[in-house]
Amino acid sequence: MADKKYIGARSRSKEGPRHVTGRGLYTDDFTLPGILQAMILRSPHAHAKINSVDPSEALKNPDVMAVVTPEDVKRQTKPFKPGRYAAGLKRPIDEYAGAIEKVRYVGEPLGAVAARSRGAAEDALELIQVDYEPLRPVVDVREAIKPSSATLFDELGTNLAWQGSLQYGDIAAAFKSADRVVKENLKIHRYSSTPLEPFVVIASYDAASKRLTVWVTAQVPEVIYDGVREALGLEDVRVIIPDVGGGFGQKIHLIRKYVVLVSLLAMKTGRPVKWIEDRSEHMMAGGHACAQEFEAEAAVKNDGTVLGLRFNEYDDVGGSISTLTIHFTNKLNNLSNTYRTPAIHMIGNAVVTNKCPVIPNRGIGKPGMCYIWERMMDRVAQELNLTPIEVRRKNLIQPNEMPYRTISGNVYDSGDYPGLLSTLLEKIDYDKLREEQKKAREQGRLMGIGIVIGVEPGGRNAARDMAIFPEMKEPPGSGGVNGATIKLEKNGTLSLHLGSPNCGQAHETTTAQVAAEVLGTTPDQISTSIPFDSDLSPWGVAAANSGNNFHLYDIGAIHGAATKLREKVLRLAAHVLSTDPKELTIENGVVQVPGSAMKKITFAELGRIAYNNQHLIPEGMEAGLQATHYYTFPHAKPNIVPGADRLVRAQFTFSAGAHAAIVEVDKTTGMVEVKRYMIVGDNGTVINPDVVNGQVYGSAAHGIAVALGEGFIYSSEGQPLTITYLDYGKCSAAETPRVEVVHRPSPSPFTSVGQKAAGEGAAIPSPAAIASAVEDALQPFGVKVRELPLSPEAVWRLANDNPETERRSF
Amino acid sequence: MKQTIRVTVNGRVYQEDVEPRILLAHFLRENIGLTGTHIGCVVGECGACSVLLDSKVVKSCLHFAVQADGREITTIEGLAKDGELNPVQEAFVKNYAFQCGYCTPGMVMTSYALLQTNPNPTEAEIRKALAGNLCMCTGYVQIVDAVKEAAKQQSTAKV
Repeated sequence: MADKKYIGARSRSKEGPRHVTGRGLYTDDFTLPGILQAMILRSPHAHAKINSVDPSEALKNPDVMAVVTPEDVKRQTKPFKPGRYAAGLKRPIDEYAGAIEKVRYVGEPLGAVAARSRGAAEDALELIQVDYEPLRPVVDVREAIKPSSATLFDELGTNLAWQGSLQYGDIAAAFKSADRVVKENLKIHRYSSTPLEPFVVIASYDAASKRLTVWVTAQVPEVIYDGVREALGLEDVRVIIPDVGGGFGQKIHLIRKYVVLVSLLAMKTGRPVKWIEDRSEHMMAGGHACAQEFEAEAAVKNDGTVLGLRFNEYDDVGGSISTLTIHFTNKLNNLSNTYRTPAIHMIGNAVVTNKCPVIPNRGIGKPGMCYIWERMMDRVAQELNLTPIEVRRKNLIQPNEMPYRTISGNVYDSGDYPGLLSTLLEKIDYDKLREEQKKAREQGRLMGIGIVIGVEPGGRNAARDMAIFPEMKEPPGSGGVNGATIKLEKNGTLSLHLGSPNCGQAHETTTAQVAAEVLGTTPDQISTSIPFDSDLSPWGVAAANSGNNFHLYDIGAIHGAATKLREKVLRLAAHVLSTDPKELTIENGVVQVPGSAMKKITFAELGRIAYNNQHLIPEGMEAGLQATHYYTFPHAKPNIVPGADRLVRAQFTFSAGAHAAIVEVDKTTGMVEVKRYMIVGDNGTVINPDVVNGQVYGSAAHGIAVALGEGFIYSSEGQPLTITYLDYGKCSAAETPRVEVVHRPSPSPFTSVGQKAAGEGAAIPSPAAIASAVEDALQPFGVKVRELPLSPEAVWRLANDNPETERRSF
Repeated sequence: MKQTIRVTVNGRVYQEDVEPRILLAHFLRENIGLTGTHIGCVVGECGACSVLLDSKVVKSCLHFAVQADGREITTIEGLAKDGELNPVQEAFVKNYAFQCGYCTPGMVMTSYALLQTNPNPTEAEIRKALAGNLCMCTGYVQIVDAVKEAAKQQSTAKV
């Protein structure tokens, strides 16, 4: 943006210097006098009854200060309030911080130990006698819903814990008037973003004043704050979130259990307690993205127009009811993807199994929704003998239709989807690639090209869930709120307090750029205070380092606070300079009447007046130069709360990206090499290009790795087989392709500076792009890609062992 | 059963009594108080705890502290001098070669060690050298670019 000095410009990172010198401060870097070390007692069984837990042997070691057993958890804590994702349960089920009567997945916590050293705590764990009665593990979703299966929750009587559907538009008419119905069964597997810093909690309890302070590597303060209050019955709770070593959704939900268990140890011992999760604990019990199966069908015209889409989804949600529908409800956010299709019918089935509970992970159900659309678009093209590009173009929402209301009530703020696609094809030289592919095939090489497109929603609206659960009695909060405070100090520098913690999205750098732009100072004059502290930070429900909230709520709040402060600065300056605020400009921290050598005053001079010199402050003006602003999205209506028509704004801003994946498959090994990966992205106004690029590179790299084999595997007994990075198949720099990014922004007309989301980003369309490219590469064998991951084994089977058998697993 | 060891860390000698089972990574963080060395897996897969042991990059979670007795260690805290960043550190900052920062100390140490032995690496060589250091955030593009830039800076500085 030509008229902007800092927004859109490169700006030196504020976080960088501390990270490259090892001066980042993560939860594990803190300690307190007398601190104890904790270990978590975990289930070795996938499914078992807990008959008894006897800690007496462990307690014989004088270094062991306390043990928490299921009995303690039951007696001394309350279950968490059923979350909104459990709203569809026919019967409420209590979920405590630890397992009480049964364990339902390997690694499920059922107790904890605090000792004077980590070694003593580890030794003590082995001395706790747990009498388990193993039960039949429930591992396969299709088996789980058979009446003959063992059940995880006796209260439910079935493992099909929830079932529901939602219909927009006239789906029957769509299928009736279709020239053809294209059907496909699709699958996405279990994976996670596996943040490098595992869960870490420090709890300190002051019994005399009933005050609990926790330091925790969490993404959403509200989840911790509410979770601790609900479980421990405390009201004086302080949550401090230092630097977070990666989040991606992993550190939103399940971590609250551990905060409660560690707090309980702190309350029992009267000493501060620290717990650090180890890598294998995180891989088995830290939370997984949901394995999802879809039976999809599209009603199409012969020209490629998609009249209707229906999908029946089976979610393998693992051994908890607290995130039962999270992957299904999130599909409302990108339900239409980039398409005009006038009728959509979604059916959801949440199946509990003896596996790690599912949690939010970079996009939650959205990568699945994009996968359905983009796989179906390719399938439609194949069946109608059209090109995949034609079919997509036929159905894209057009730029002149923006803002566009989708069939489910989302309002797409801005976007030029045909433009993204055209730019992508041009930049990657699509026609030439197809020529190359022809030659490659002649030489017997398996080259594939996958082109997909997807939206990336941002902002939050929990009231969305009421569309899925009309029976919901107590609506969850609607929309989002978050705050920011900005203060001009007496030396003319500025300090910023954000409402949100951050986990690597450059909050400090980006907010300083926006504040500098609004206030007429330079980013180097601004410092942002960390850590997040619930006592000090101006936080609301959207103080959530998740769900693509930062661009909307934090930037909105900073922009609002800086705008308010600017008015104050101008008022004070005008008074001191005996002029009208309208006559004044601000540049580089100097307020002046343009051209006048006399009528000017610096931020430092104003700061000294505002805090030191009452007689220069105008009558009636508040002293000090500080402003706080709580932001809500001003264009959230209508449909912020769904009515009888179930129309709802699931999220509020819509970034988008067109992706091209060029791959080559080695038939003898099944290895897929990504030769090129290009994204033409629309993230609205880019505030800091390096930061946005980083988000796009990282999210694409993860989606690509997920598609190509990264993932969790369980044995038929429900034992996790992938509890190290190596077994899990994490990609290193050596395997990760260099992602190419081209920006083609359509700024949002509704946000503070036209910004849109970038965090979940390319993780949404990239699995679909890889699937498309691998299928294209394998075209000589006439096989279809239906399932992820496309591990070497899976690809080898497709290329060598699959005469297009209808391998429908359901 | 503690053992006394003398280790030189970032040019300073530390004498400590440690249990033989204490890992070098924990020794650096807890005994010496240098928390820039991060721990992501404790089994040698992630590289967050990479340090230099007698000038060679190692994963400090794969060494016991007692193995460092009489030897020299450089940690991330030892690279910058008086607030002046090393060229590798500066290139990381300039290129936004980090997000959450957790893998960054290990990445910087490994990159530094690479450039000591191979001052002009190709992209493929950089990626191979960094293959033992995992990053969950960045997709590696900016990290690789930072190492390239640091190499360029160092070769210019030497001329």
